[in-house]
Amino acid sequence: MHDFAIALPEIFLAVAAMAMLMIGVFQKPGSDMGLVSWLGILSLAVALVLVVTGEGDNVSFAGLFVDDPFARFAKVLILIGSAAAIILSQGFVRREGMNRFEYPVLIMIATLGMLMMVSANDLISLYMGIELQSLPLYVLAAFKRDSTRTTEAGLKYFVLGALSSGMLLYGCSMIYGFTGSTTFGDIANVMQGQEKAGLGLVIGIVFLSAGLAFKVSAVPFHMWTPDVYEGAPSPVTAFFATAPKVAALAMFLRAMLEPFGGMEADWRQIIWLISVLSMLLGAFAAIGQHNIKRLMAYSSIGHVGYALVGLTAATSEGVRGVLVYLTIYLVMNVGTFACILAMRRGDRMVESIDDLRGLGKTHKGMAMALAIFMFSLAGVPPLAGFFGKFYVFMAAINAGLYYLAVIGVLASVVGAFYYLRIIKIMYFDEPTEPLSKPIGMELGVLMAVTAFLTAAFFVVPGVLVNGAAVAAGSLFP
Amino acid sequence: MTGVDTLLSEYLPILIFLGVAIGLASVIVIASFIAARQKPDSEKLSPYECGFEPFGDSRTQFDVRFYLVAILFIIFDLEVAFLFPWAVSLAEIGTFGFWSMMIFLGILTIGFVYEWKKGALEWE
Amino acid sequence: MMYVLITFAPLLGALLAGFFGRSLGDRAAMLITSLLMTLAAVLSWVTLYQVAFGHSPAHVELLSWIKSGDFAVSWALQIDSLTAVMLVVVNTVSCLVHWYSIGYMSHDKAKARFFAYLSLFTFAMLMLVTSDNFVQLYFGWEGVGLASYLLIGFWYHKPSANAAAMKAFIVNRVGDFGFALGIAGIFLVYDSVTFEAVFSATPDYVDHTFMFLGYEVHTLTTICLLLFLGAMGKSAQLPLHTWLPDAMEGPTPVSALIHAATMVTAGVFLVARCSPMFEYAPDALAVVAVIGATTAFFAATVGLVQTDIKRVIAYSTCSQLGYMFFAAGLSAYPVAIFHLFTHAFFKALLFLGAGSVIHAVADEQDMRKMGGLAPHIRKTFFMMWIGSLALAGIGIPGVIGFAGFYSKDLILESAFAAHTSFGEYAFIMGIAAAFMTAFYSWRLLFMTFNGKPRAPRETMAHIHDSPPVMMIPLYVLAVGAVFAGIAFYGPMTGHHWEEFWGEAILILPVHTALEHAHDVPTWVKWLPLVVSVAGIALAWQMYIRNTELPGSFARTHQAIYQFLLNKWYFDELYDWIFVRPAKGLGRIFWKRGDGQVIDGFGPDGISSTVLKLARRASLLQSGYVYHYAFAMLIGVAVLVSFYFYAIGV
Repeated sequence: MHDFAIALPEIFLAVAAMAMLMIGVFQKPGSDMGLVSWLGILSLAVALVLVVTGEGDNVSFAGLFVDDPFARFAKVLILIGSAAAIILSQGFVRREGMNRFEYPVLIMIATLGMLMMVSANDLISLYMGIELQSLPLYVLAAFKRDSTRTTEAGLKYFVLGALSSGMLLYGCSMIYGFTGSTTFGDIANVMQGQEKAGLGLVIGIVFLSAGLAFKVSAVPFHMWTPDVYEGAPSPVTAFFATAPKVAALAMFLRAMLEPFGGMEADWRQIIWLISVLSMLLGAFAAIGQHNIKRLMAYSSIGHVGYALVGLTAATSEGVRGVLVYLTIYLVMNVGTFACILAMRRGDRMVESIDDLRGLGKTHKGMAMALAIFMFSLAGVPPLAGFFGKFYVFMAAINAGLYYLAVIGVLASVVGAFYYLRIIKIMYFDEPTEPLSKPIGMELGVLMAVTAFLTAAFFVVPGVLVNGAAVAAGSLFP
Repeated sequence: MTGVDTLLSEYLPILIFLGVAIGLASVIVIASFIAARQKPDSEKLSPYECGFEPFGDSRTQFDVRFYLVAILFIIFDLEVAFLFPWAVSLAEIGTFGFWSMMIFLGILTIGFVYEWKKGALEWE
Repeated sequence: MMYVLITFAPLLGALLAGFFGRSLGDRAAMLITSLLMTLAAVLSWVTLYQVAFGHSPAHVELLSWIKSGDFAVSWALQIDSLTAVMLVVVNTVSCLVHWYSIGYMSHDKAKARFFAYLSLFTFAMLMLVTSDNFVQLYFGWEGVGLASYLLIGFWYHKPSANAAAMKAFIVNRVGDFGFALGIAGIFLVYDSVTFEAVFSATPDYVDHTFMFLGYEVHTLTTICLLLFLGAMGKSAQLPLHTWLPDAMEGPTPVSALIHAATMVTAGVFLVARCSPMFEYAPDALAVVAVIGATTAFFAATVGLVQTDIKRVIAYSTCSQLGYMFFAAGLSAYPVAIFHLFTHAFFKALLFLGAGSVIHAVADEQDMRKMGGLAPHIRKTFFMMWIGSLALAGIGIPGVIGFAGFYSKDLILESAFAAHTSFGEYAFIMGIAAAFMTAFYSWRLLFMTFNGKPRAPRETMAHIHDSPPVMMIPLYVLAVGAVFAGIAFYGPMTGHHWEEFWGEAILILPVHTALEHAHDVPTWVKWLPLVVSVAGIALAWQMYIRNTELPGSFARTHQAIYQFLLNKWYFDELYDWIFVRPAKGLGRIFWKRGDGQVIDGFGPDGISSTVLKLARRASLLQSGYVYHYAFAMLIGVAVLVSFYFYAIGV
């Protein structure tokens, strides 16, 4: 009746998260989170294996849940991103008084929500996935309870997230009202044969996209991002910037293309505008920033804009571009945040861009890695970031969206400024007070691996691009 | 009629409902002002057991424990709300329905165990 | 192999001295470049003997350079008689100048740089003369232009040197533009740029015309005139001569090598090299003859009144180049090259002698502050006399004479023998110029060496002849100035000139100037000598016997004097016609166009706009939740409105 097997990774992850909660709570109070963390990473790895072993394009649970190559592709990225986030956190949480076992458990639950999001085949399960992901994230944002900055970030995120959920639900109800169904497939069937979407339906779609845009932090629903990125503890920011972005964008793609795939002419304008605004704001607003986390917030807004270019194209090529972009973005961001988390003086974390002064002389390896990430984020060939942009812009041009591609290229030129500024500061400015060493084993390894992937991507781009093409194909029957 | 007009006309009942609700609420409040006897004494003016002042600004600090209890209450309240329809229709939904609820209860139990171990249920 | 060695030895020297000069040390850099040049010079004479007298032209293919569709150019060395003569001229003078410079530049700080430039120039010049196609020729052409620019501006701390360098470069640009157009035209017409292909195809294009602005234009004439425009720039012919006198700002050895003996003759070489084309373009030849004759006359008149010793010789160079051109324009190419050959010796001698004088009087170049130097620098004095005698072309017709006598008289005889109106014009101009040449040469000699010393006493006390390293090159050149004419007169321009030149030079049978030059009336043969002696006598009268005469003459004929002193007001004219409007236009483009429009809207504008936008974008981030929530709601409203707008509801 119900094919539980296709939801095996999610079921496993749910059980594992509950088990870890129990393990953690029965530990001696004040124990280290190390055990739970590594169990969490192990569970994520097992879930990854379960995801990879999945096959075909299956729908189950009365059409609520789908497991197709697209979902599996996104899930792999999400699981890797979450695992990386847990690893990144290790040093930080111990130093900053966040050493509680709930931390990895919350990440696990959020990850479970993300898996649900990308597998959602129905507005209801979509909403459930979003909420399952969001609630732990709100808590994580405010995880350092005794810091006003952090609690402020968490509260803002929560309030605005609730508002966006409201919009999303409003949109869902409109769509349900005008199509008579919440399942993506049924909505698509209803739309079949209609020349134009009705007015009400389009407004529903606008609200739905507003809710989704909030989750991916696209303009004009991005306002929470800089404040939350800056206020939240750094490893949490690292987590926000990676896995949830991937999940939300993947979900965005599916929620637009599966039910409304035949009528992209009706909603393309909306995504177009969101994409352009995001690219421009990401490029311009980041210039004036001094806090590197805040800068990364604007950077992520910009990058979401670029990724949405692929969605605007609404072609298989476009989706492929987005998936490639997301993969590269994930790798680059994990690496960049590894560098940010290595910025400390003694026990104190520093977050100002000026603290990077002279890094090229004091920390050669880290500066090198960060330079690679910055060049890549700026989209300088032959680094991976260039290819990410290349594939989405290519898709846009092939879909006839010339203005979009041109604006995108111009925005990335402007955006290159602040990435290159960081490199300039690292290599050409005199060090004021050098950052502490050592940077920590796990951070070093992550930096090295991600930097290598970023730099060497152009050698064998085929592996990723072909995988993404297969995944993208499953959204276009 | 154009699209927008149809759309709006369908909301007419809601508008009527809103009007009735507002009217009724104001009638009740005003009536209580006029009809009730107002005799405040020290007991009436003292704070509630949850620590809130009976009169005053709603935006004040309060003990988070009240909030915690309230939240827990809501969760288990909702659980019961789910249990009733389930119990009534158990004959029709069969084993699948039965186990679904068991899993749901299991998850809730785990949360309950967690909060118990964390000491959320201890007042002092 | 030998040819490769000849061409690339100077390059090697230039690279060594230029890039490793500092580690080698000045002395090593000077010696290496000079020795490599000597090697090249010796081999050049061997080449001349083998190629011109042994009648064995060679062609060495080095590398394919450009290959693009039909356009194929290779690096190659074409060694025929014309090239061999040029090799000898270039390498001999260059070699001597190198050695001379060791002495002349001994007090300079940047010796290695100087020698690197000299060798680089020589290499470029060799690329120019050995080329087998127009593109490589152009490469050499621009290379010598660059080297000339670098050397004129060698003393870069002197503003006048920088200005002169720029002037030389810019004026040459005008000519080079024509040259480049000519090459493009050649490729357009012939589909090839190699000499061999172009020259062999030329007879087929005799009647080829094309339409330009509605006029039917003769193709060959156009191409030849464009090429000649390049030659005018490089060889300082009217009206592109203005840079040459200013180029005297460079060190004197440079003037001797580049602005007398070699580079400026590149234009003559070009015309001779392209003789197979010019021969079929009589109109172009006429232009060459007229321009050359006019320049010969004009430069001689200006030379009469100059007071800077180097400028006098510079105008003399300009004038002599005019002789070469009108010879070429009258189809007497062998005579032109012959004069080029002899001129190189005596003009280099004069310049190096002048350098020796300047060296002696503590870098003073104004002749009015010299005088009475003969007893102190007797050797230099003799050398200058020999050079002047050769320049004035003193000799007894039919018997013997200095080098210039053979070549210059033959040019004048050719002009007379051409029996065309252009020939007559050139003859008259040439005779007039010969008179003035003799006058200003002896004016120079008398003002410098005779009379009362006008230099400060302390300078006079230190006057001495130059060291042997400077004097020996002078002696060698003096030998050339005396004997080059008599030795090469027969082979180069005799009745069997075709044997010597082989296929390098073509003269159509209808052009008989050279043929008949040997059979002119006796008075024509004697006339140049007569006017030259008259010029010398006048100079003696004015500067030895009655020294008041020049001053009073200048006062009474103020207009003519000023006209000549200001070089016919060419510089003023150009300043007024070209320089000022160009500067004004440039200022407009700079201030308005670049500064206000491009910078204002471009880099500066964009960056300030970006910063402004960035500041505004940051301001949006107020930190208040209700602002954010409001922004989201507005956002939805905007999206809905934008959607309605986009689909046109």
